Amino acid sequence: MATVATSSFQKHRDGPPDKPPAPHTGKRRLSRQRAPWWFVLPALAFFAFVVLVPSAQGGWWAFTDWDGISPVKHFVGLDQFRTLWHDQAARDAVGTTLLAALSITIVQNAIGLLLALGVNAHLKSRNILRVLFFAPAVITPVVTAYLWKYLYAPEGAINALLKTVGLGFLRQDWLGDPDVALWSVVAVVVWQFAGYSMVIFLAGLQSIPQEIYEAAAVDGAGPVRRFWSVIRPMLAPAITINLMLSIIGGLKLFDQVWVMTQGGPGGATDTLSTVIYKQAFQFNKYGYSIAMGLVLTLFVIVVSGLQYGYLSRQEKKNS
Amino acid sequence: MRASRPAAATLAVLGLAAFTAACTSDTAGSGGGDTLRVAANSTDREPMDAVVAAFRKANPDIKVSVTYADTDQLQSTLRTQLSSGTAPDVFTVWPGNGNPGALQVLQKGGYLADLSGYSFASKISDGDKSVTQVDGKTYIVPVTFNGIGAIYNKATLTEIGGTEPKTWDDVLALCTKAKDHGKVLLALGNQTNWVTQLVDYSLAATTVYAQNPDFDAELSAGKATFAGSAWKQTMQKYLDLDKAGCFSKNPNGTSYETSISDVAQGKAVGVVQVTTSIPQVQKEAGADAELGMFALPSTNNADETRIPAAVSAAYGLNAAGKHAAEGKKFVEFLASSEGQKIYAEKGSTLPVLPNDSFKADPALTGLIDMQKNGKTVPFMDQRWPNPEVQATHFTAVQKLFSGSESVDEALKSMDDAAKKS
Repeated sequence: MATVATSSFQKHRDGPPDKPPAPHTGKRRLSRQRAPWWFVLPALAFFAFVVLVPSAQGGWWAFTDWDGISPVKHFVGLDQFRTLWHDQAARDAVGTTLLAALSITIVQNAIGLLLALGVNAHLKSRNILRVLFFAPAVITPVVTAYLWKYLYAPEGAINALLKTVGLGFLRQDWLGDPDVALWSVVAVVVWQFAGYSMVIFLAGLQSIPQEIYEAAAVDGAGPVRRFWSVIRPMLAPAITINLMLSIIGGLKLFDQVWVMTQGGPGGATDTLSTVIYKQAFQFNKYGYSIAMGLVLTLFVIVVSGLQYGYLSRQEKKNS
Repeated sequence: MRASRPAAATLAVLGLAAFTAACTSDTAGSGGGDTLRVAANSTDREPMDAVVAAFRKANPDIKVSVTYADTDQLQSTLRTQLSSGTAPDVFTVWPGNGNPGALQVLQKGGYLADLSGYSFASKISDGDKSVTQVDGKTYIVPVTFNGIGAIYNKATLTEIGGTEPKTWDDVLALCTKAKDHGKVLLALGNQTNWVTQLVDYSLAATTVYAQNPDFDAELSAGKATFAGSAWKQTMQKYLDLDKAGCFSKNPNGTSYETSISDVAQGKAVGVVQVTTSIPQVQKEAGADAELGMFALPSTNNADETRIPAAVSAAYGLNAAGKHAAEGKKFVEFLASSEGQKIYAEKGSTLPVLPNDSFKADPALTGLIDMQKNGKTVPFMDQRWPNPEVQATHFTAVQKLFSGSESVDEALKSMDDAAKKS
């Protein structure tokens, strides 16, 4: 990947790269045609009807002992939250969720950025590569998770491949070993969504005016220097959006875990979302599960809020 | 770009309209329509389709629409539908207690019609009453009787030069024979949560319940614990089988589907499974493959061996259903000699209610013999105090196999779960 990225800089130095779109004109046209705010009302009304109102209604049940089926529910105050505080399974799940979210965010964006730098270059196959790298992102996570579950099986394709190429000692019980299972799941998420991050980074890269690259090259800046001092600051909005999307996605991680391991083996891959699901739909503890859901919501708001604050300060500093 | 925006918006609106229409047509069917709505587990598709076809033939004026869903989905959807008044007229209810769609859970909400007055209610055996009744009233029509045992391919067993084991030592010896032929005796797909419990249940039927059939009742009453019972030996034996190389390698990374394929392809002699898995093994192994089944012995006294077997598929009638008369007819048909026969034959299970015309799948001979001799014990989770015990059992077994928990810790976690309300 690194070679591809470097070659892109070299090509930029030697000759004109892709003709970037004209960002300035686009911006002016956009600001001139800014839509009235009330255009958002129909969408907002639908969103409120489908998401906000039911969520707020459901949120209240966190303070009851509702079992999800009986017509009666009793108000129990903060009891559910007290139980949650002492719940070891929930605490373990918080740790697992943070670990997964953090590693997905870092690895997915690093790979996404390298891919973007690569396919931004003057390669003949760049359009095909862009499609290929982005393709997994359009498939439902449930489907990819099922496919990977087969690939990861002890006698599955991955272990067979490792054996064939003489790397038999690397064979693992990918989803059955509690020390490996979480990383196997994380790898699938990264594999699927690195292309998604790539597309956002690519859009950012293509909005950087060619003159700036040229000016930096004339001033004698090498590829690393150009990346750090020119590309990185100008990519700041893309970095912000990518980090936000991946951290929120990581904190909500459910589909891939549920399909591949159901939280197992022995709870090793249980995330907050799978624990919430189990409490509601397997243990009949709706009140408790909603309390956990509320905590997860707050958790996502706080983590992504802090992250957003930090990143936008960085953006301002750079601009 | 600009031109495509209205097009995209139109598509989105059309999509939304189609989506809403799809939902509405379904609801309309449940409300004013004259169609009887049934919801069943997707594993029961074949027998249920056959029963519905026969029912339609006998009652051409009643339309029936059946929705199938997997266990998890069915349980969560049904609960939502029941509490919002949109549930089907007849639906799968799991016997006893221990899962979110179980009889005792749903009955508490008042969603099940009392079926005590139906003629089939008096034919239910005493042994099955505990999981089909609440406070002496019958709320579900039991349809199939299902067992858990080692389902095996007879040709593979002959290939390794073995016979059905009668004692614990026989089992261990058979494991060695299988290994000598480059196979394993039992495929094990513990990655799929519910599979983890099956070997434990098979062993516990003998080690725990042959001695103390009331263990579950004592557990619920707080008079017994897993840790202080023969469940300890049971779990130890589960691990002993693993140490002796009886199971496939890496059971925690092996799924249910893979375990079935392993038997069909002859990599494993058999698999400890519910009898409803027989059609799937048969399908993968080919129609010529001759399958058999035996109870997994866990002591050296063959007379002690028991097999977990219980009412599995059962249906409830919606107390607030829109088609009470049609629903009643359908429930009666499910309980009829014809209905039970069709259901059991198509699903490779046994009928719950006495039936003379029924012809059993030859693979079920082992189970039928045990049933005749009164050597069956109910599925344990059907009588456990809450659904968390079973889920904790799944996790505990996976931890035992990954070495991250001891037998004592596993049993303690199950005891803790049993104490929860």
